[in-house]
Amino acid sequence: MASQPQKLAYVNAKLGAPESGQQTTRVLFSTIETPGTTSSLIFFRNFQGLTNGQTNLTQNKLDSMESMVIKTIWLAQFDAEGVLNTFGGILQQTLSIIVGNQTVVKNLPIQFNQGANGQAFDRLHENGGHIVDNNFVPLANKQIVLPVEIRLLTDIVIPPQVAFEVRIDSNAAAYGTGAVVCALAGYGKIFSAGNSF
Amino acid sequence: MTAQDKILHVASKLGLTSLKDMQASTGAVYDVDSDLSGTIFSQAARHANPGLTNINENQFEVNEALLVETVGFYVQNTNLGTVNFQRVYGSNAVIVFDLIIGNKRTMKDTPVFAAGSPYTFANSGVFADVSGEEFPTVIAPRHQVFMEGAGILIPPQVQWSVSYTIFNVVTGAIIAPTSNTKLGCYLFGTKVLLNFNTSI
Repeated sequence: MASQPQKLAYVNAKLGAPESGQQTTRVLFSTIETPGTTSSLIFFRNFQGLTNGQTNLTQNKLDSMESMVIKTIWLAQFDAEGVLNTFGGILQQTLSIIVGNQTVVKNLPIQFNQGANGQAFDRLHENGGHIVDNNFVPLANKQIVLPVEIRLLTDIVIPPQVAFEVRIDSNAAAYGTGAVVCALAGYGKIFSAGNSF
Repeated sequence: MTAQDKILHVASKLGLTSLKDMQASTGAVYDVDSDLSGTIFSQAARHANPGLTNINENQFEVNEALLVETVGFYVQNTNLGTVNFQRVYGSNAVIVFDLIIGNKRTMKDTPVFAAGSPYTFANSGVFADVSGEEFPTVIAPRHQVFMEGAGILIPPQVQWSVSYTIFNVVTGAIIAPTSNTKLGCYLFGTKVLLNFNTSI
């Protein structure tokens, strides 16, 4: 299996994308405020009104000299008081990642990797992130669940200047009145002027 | 590419011809933003060692280097105790940080979620409160970035720092640390130590 740097270099070479730049670990994230009850959440589409603490992008594409590999997908749901809840309750939900006009992750179920389920796909989760005490009412600083995380078996590349988004589908899941957050983490390259200036 | 390969590659690019002869090791550096300035490591020279930091200045000496493979965050209170970030700031807090080496930003707007960041669930850090009646078992998440793809080398004699801001991810508002909630950071990875060989 190719490493993340190898995969990124391979795809960038295929696309003719720039290969220079500072190697780094990249985590992109985006927030949807007051999502409510809905059958469809789309992350990395609307950046209006978000601060630097809610997203680290200003548009749904990377800069011209930047690219990254998605190795893991992370999802969290907070209520208005900042308490971490299970993402979408315990309803089944599926996740799709669209890069350009191509679906690169299609209807991947997320429910198994979170909360009280304990059937995580991978060995990332010590115990599937299970609730540690059902009788305890959590607080913002007394957390009893973990966010959802799914580690991809095939790394997905986001090339420079190609729009992408993450879509969550459900049958009217309740996401509450706080916020939901999606993060994509992996290896990346960021613009480096080097001795150009 | 192994960590050692990466160190030698960067050393070669920088013209550090003698780094390959030094002692390879494992190391970590840490510091706390005691000035609440939003920058960690830049004031390390004024900090108590090892109470607040384990470095005398924020640059390595000749022929010493660190390939950063994990970045971790914690909170230090007024008693110099190390506290879990989530327990102090709440699950909805997020640290957004840059790692700056020399005049270059090598990690950019990287979030570390108080609720537990990507890659950190292998050990959920379950925290069993001894006063179980009031606070039964809760989770103490980890606040780290594992640089699985490629580490970043801090070369010898180049200053580095971590600049950060803490936000409430729900509202987007900035959360200001206090003297009792100072943010600390460590950089862990493959270290190169000065080795005189037979010079002395």
